[in-house]
Amino acid sequence: MDPLMTPLGQMLLEEITPVVMLISTPSVEEASLKNGLSFLQTLTPFCSFDNIDVPVRTASDQPYRLHKFKLRLFYASDVKRPDLKVAKEQLKQVITEAGEKEFPDSSSDLPEINLELTSSSEYQNTPSWFRFLNKELVRVASFSDHEAFDHPVICLLAVSSKDEQPINRFVDFFNTDKLPSLLNDGAMDPKISKHYLLVHDNQDGPADRASRILTEMRNTFGTSDCSLLCINSSVDAPFKHQDNPWASYITDSSSTPSQGLGCFLNTDDIDEIKVLMQDLSSKHIIPNMEQKIRILNQQVSATRKGFKNQIKNLWWRKGKEDGADSLSGPAYNFNSIESQIRVLGDYAFMLRDYELALSNYRLISTDYKIDKAWKRYAGVQEMMGLTYFILDQSRKEAEYCMENAFNTYLKLGSLGQLNATRCGLWWIEMLKARDQYKEAATVYFRICGEDILHSAVMLEQASYCYLLSKPSMLRKYGFHVVLSGEQYKKCDQIKHAIRTYRCALSVFRGTTWSYINDHVHFHIGQWYASLAMYDVAVKHMTEILSCSHQSKTTQELFLGDFLQIVEKTGRTYEVTKLQLPVINISTLRVIYEDFRTFGSPSAANTREGLWRSLEEEMLPSFSAAKTNWLELQSKLMLKKHSQNVCVAGESVKVTIEFENPLQISIPISSVTLVCKYSASTDEVISNEIESSMEKDNKVDHFRNMSSDNSSFMVSEVDLLLGGGETTMIELSVTPKEEGTLEIIGVRWKLSGTIVGFYDFELGQPKKNIKGRKTKDLPNEKFKFMVIKSIPKLQGSIHPLPGKAYAGDLRQLVLELRNPSEFPVKNLKMKISHPRFLIIGKQENVMSEFPACLRKKTDSVQSDVHANPNITYDTVFLFPEGTSVQGETPFLWPLWFRAAVPGDISLCMSIYYEMGDVSSIIKYRILRLHYNVQVLPSLDVSFQICPFRSSLEEFLVRLDVVNKTSSESFQVCQLSSVGHQWEISLVQAPDSIFPSQSLMAGQAISCFFTLKKSRRLPTDGDNMSTLPVRSNARLVPQSIEDIVYDINSAPLINFHHYERLQQEVSYKGDLNTVDFVLISWPFKSSDDAGFSNPSSVMSHHACHFSTASTGPISWLVDGPQTMHHDFSASFCEISMKMHIHNSAGATAFVRIDTLDSAGNGGHMNSVNVVQSATTDNQAGWHDITPVNELKVTSNALETQPGKALSLESASSYIWSGSSSTHLHIEAMSSVEIPLQICVFSPGTYDLSNYALNWKLPYNGQGDSDEKKQHSGQCQGYKYYLTVLQST
Amino acid sequence: MATTACFIIVSRNDIPIYEAEVGVAAKREDAAQLHQFILHAALDIVQDLAWTTSAMYLKSVDRFNELVVSVLMLLHDSRNDDGIKSFFQDVHELYIKTLLNPLYLPGSRITSSHFDTKVRALARKYL
Repeated sequence: MDPLMTPLGQMLLEEITPVVMLISTPSVEEASLKNGLSFLQTLTPFCSFDNIDVPVRTASDQPYRLHKFKLRLFYASDVKRPDLKVAKEQLKQVITEAGEKEFPDSSSDLPEINLELTSSSEYQNTPSWFRFLNKELVRVASFSDHEAFDHPVICLLAVSSKDEQPINRFVDFFNTDKLPSLLNDGAMDPKISKHYLLVHDNQDGPADRASRILTEMRNTFGTSDCSLLCINSSVDAPFKHQDNPWASYITDSSSTPSQGLGCFLNTDDIDEIKVLMQDLSSKHIIPNMEQKIRILNQQVSATRKGFKNQIKNLWWRKGKEDGADSLSGPAYNFNSIESQIRVLGDYAFMLRDYELALSNYRLISTDYKIDKAWKRYAGVQEMMGLTYFILDQSRKEAEYCMENAFNTYLKLGSLGQLNATRCGLWWIEMLKARDQYKEAATVYFRICGEDILHSAVMLEQASYCYLLSKPSMLRKYGFHVVLSGEQYKKCDQIKHAIRTYRCALSVFRGTTWSYINDHVHFHIGQWYASLAMYDVAVKHMTEILSCSHQSKTTQELFLGDFLQIVEKTGRTYEVTKLQLPVINISTLRVIYEDFRTFGSPSAANTREGLWRSLEEEMLPSFSAAKTNWLELQSKLMLKKHSQNVCVAGESVKVTIEFENPLQISIPISSVTLVCKYSASTDEVISNEIESSMEKDNKVDHFRNMSSDNSSFMVSEVDLLLGGGETTMIELSVTPKEEGTLEIIGVRWKLSGTIVGFYDFELGQPKKNIKGRKTKDLPNEKFKFMVIKSIPKLQGSIHPLPGKAYAGDLRQLVLELRNPSEFPVKNLKMKISHPRFLIIGKQENVMSEFPACLRKKTDSVQSDVHANPNITYDTVFLFPEGTSVQGETPFLWPLWFRAAVPGDISLCMSIYYEMGDVSSIIKYRILRLHYNVQVLPSLDVSFQICPFRSSLEEFLVRLDVVNKTSSESFQVCQLSSVGHQWEISLVQAPDSIFPSQSLMAGQAISCFFTLKKSRRLPTDGDNMSTLPVRSNARLVPQSIEDIVYDINSAPLINFHHYERLQQEVSYKGDLNTVDFVLISWPFKSSDDAGFSNPSSVMSHHACHFSTASTGPISWLVDGPQTMHHDFSASFCEISMKMHIHNSAGATAFVRIDTLDSAGNGGHMNSVNVVQSATTDNQAGWHDITPVNELKVTSNALETQPGKALSLESASSYIWSGSSSTHLHIEAMSSVEIPLQICVFSPGTYDLSNYALNWKLPYNGQGDSDEKKQHSGQCQGYKYYLTVLQST
Repeated sequence: MATTACFIIVSRNDIPIYEAEVGVAAKREDAAQLHQFILHAALDIVQDLAWTTSAMYLKSVDRFNELVVSVLMLLHDSRNDDGIKSFFQDVHELYIKTLLNPLYLPGSRITSSHFDTKVRALARKYL
């Protein structure tokens, strides 16, 4: 690419051109002002020549032709350093104007960065005013004394023919001190060549006088230097130019319409001007310059070229070195050799003899450097760089020179600032021409000086460079745009600032660099607000509200500013995507009541499946009930499935979580649901209408909905969300009429000014829709069919404790209310945990608690005993004819007992049917849900072991541990359940509880004897009347009257469930015993309520087996010591054996009496069997008997061997029948006589027998199989001492 | 110890997954976004450089006024090259450990407080 064709080349061709100084008289100006132009402006368009075709010869006589040429015209008064302040003002104005023009439409979208477009051409992308601005900046630095290319080459003197004594006027021009300072102070050669121009206005008359003056001039100044220009030839008719040549040159075209420019200049005039200027340049300026170049070149060659001169020069400079050390270096006047070299270089540059220019620049640069004339040095370096560039020789050199120049200018500080800017701009253009945009950007960055506005523009240009660089550096672009925006802001160019930030936004959008995003949005918001464009401001400010990563002060600042802006808008602002507070859509729950109604929120939160399984039995099955189910019911069911149903007058609740991400608390008010109501129940139509409507404008839609709330009522919630808080909010909407209700979203007011919306539908994850096969609409969940009002029961359980100790027994009341006028009937109820909660009887409502539990001496308890297994597990039906209506509550007693420690959730379902309302819903269910925390209280355990001394008597050991941390209890009573057991204390109660109570952590154990009651179960009538000693009081005698009847209503029922719960594998085993321990919380003795405990606790322990070794138990009864005279005869001793069959069936028992000899092996094997079978028995209470047995069996193992080895004579023999077969009826005892013979005195162990028992296998199912059907038991040790009687 | 040091780990698509101000200088209110700006801008250069070199440590890739950016994205104002290098090495090791955590989804934000304290300790040690 030809360097001259680049933007920089073009710029240089335009800017570094010969300067013509114009001096004119006022009358000349007057004449040209008739055209609306100054004389300078009149001439300017004709100063650039595209094809002037002038032959030029270089200093070394190389001929070439100039084609493009341009002159710069300046008034003499303008040939000076431009006023900095004026220039700055002008620049500022330009920027401001550009800002107005370029200010983006607030409604428009963010500018998209089109990379392909940027690659094609840079000037389309960068704003055009940059170029103008840059030009201005370059111009500001012109007419410096250190450069020669701004020095006028020729002086054009213009005098009007109207002027008096025109010749004198020409002379006067140079006598006065109007001349620019450049010429006067010696920086420039004052002997400037001159050209004399006589201007004649044709409107003033014919040109006679003018031609006369011209001849006079020619005589005075020489023929070649004088010329005549006639203007304003078109006398009357204003001349219309096809394309006005001046229009593009007049910058402030706003003041005068371009049409009127040059209206009196006809084509002849223009041609004349053209010819004049061409002649001027080709015949005067160029030859002049050429000549000057030659002269200077000769001079320079003479003084500086050649080895001798160089040495001399060096020597001379060295000597001067220590003298001048000022920043500007020594002053050079025009005839110093340095200035002349510079002039030579510049002239050569202007005439495009770049080689010559370069060699001269090189020559002079070293001189200036040695002289420390930094500004001049920099200037020369700058020109060197440009020359290198144009010659396209060495890029590195060019850049090096430019950088050198730039740095040197910068070193000069404020003096060199303007020049540095110019140099930088040229440098940038140079880099741009070589596609080194990245480097260009860094240069732009370095140009930024103290002037903020200036640096803002530069930064913005730098950012564009980054954008244009390849690969385009978007992030850098964003950063620099932001930087420039900040600078714009500092000098109040708000519009520019906004524009730049918006550009940045397009880069940063979608990134997760939180601080950046916040910064950009916040500032744009602020600035829009300062321009009073609040809508856009709010839009941007909403982006930064949820800035949880920012510090607290920043959050406060953001929120404060935001609210301020919103306030300024003067109305409540509504936005769809308000980020504050954050709404947790995943926590959204819609609770509505169709046929299911809920007594409490916790009931609604309980799993639907749980309720379903609970209610399974209660709900009528439709298909069976309806005869014409095919037609009617299926339709109904279909409808029910496709749409949610809610009842008019009953609220639909929505719970959702609001989260405050900030550290500061935010006030939120009037949180309401946004709902849509349509009177028609036809869903399809309404859907279509709505979907078309919704797409259009969501906000309007929301607004409409909020105002129209005649057919439904929404609740309002106000709250203050603390920093970082998360709050669950319950909202409700209550439809009033039948129709279709749809919940669309939620709206809230932040700080009372700004309204936010949240659309549930948009927030919902879409995946669950995908799974469905049917084409369900996504909003199905929020859509309700509202049906006519039907009765709804309200229920509660009254004094249900939140916390209770295990075993706590309480009486509760279920209260049902029906506020509607229609009665409900067919009430049914079911409870999930009958172990904890059972339904009492109607008459219990009135009875006093816990007195009703106490034993009444004359009470009739037959009803309990008559039907102890009332409908335990099934649905409880309220009595026929029970209907709830009106204000009077329906009460029903309930019994509560905290069965086991832990958190228990109790569910109750109450089913009811509508009285006489015809509706889709035939029945409803009230669901009640309560949570009870049960704390551990007393840990009760029992151990039972049989008495050896008597049959069917047992020793019971009770261990009670108080597991609470603070509570003390008084253990009151231990009862055995059932009538076949009698229980009594072994010790006196006072000795067990010295302090009368069981302190926290205390453990006691006490012993009871348990005896099987002798009475047979057949005499049932006697049972209730006879005092059964099945209760053992553990309290002192003083409060004797308090005895609790464990057979009374709630206790026996609870006991039933406990039995079911604690049941192991003992079904049908009749030898088990159940215990109930009654206790109450102990109050300190000074408390009056001591004797009247308000609560009772019962602990149930069931299924303690008394039968340790199978169903057969026996007892050998006989004498312990006998005296016998063995000298007389052997001793014959008769004994008795009581055998009891505790099994439920007749047992076959065979008693084998074994002689001591020969049967050891057999016995051993039996033992093994025995112990193995006992091991199979489960339950801890069996352990003791097993251990016991093992001891005996061990003894048995050794015993026979011992007996054998010792002495056979000392043994005894069974003298009765060796084997006895017996049939023992179920639950009965028999007595068998036994006899032994002893031959010598001694102590005998009579355990040498075995009982084989067998139960008939009647195949009663699985439970029977687990039991033993037959077994063998070894005899007990029974020691008999026989003494020799004397 | 450097007075200013802002450390950021950036995953693909310019998503910052870990940020920490590890300098000793009192945190200025506007510093956070300035640092982010600088680091974000420096990504351009990193992107270029990443293709030209296989080294993990790129020394100072970009500078803004007195602040220098080294890669693995540390913005600092000190000249302690060796310290920065070893800091990066250790942090990289830490990062790999985090990556090996099966519960960590690569590319998501590192929220582990353990990682944070470790990085800060390393910064105290090396910078």
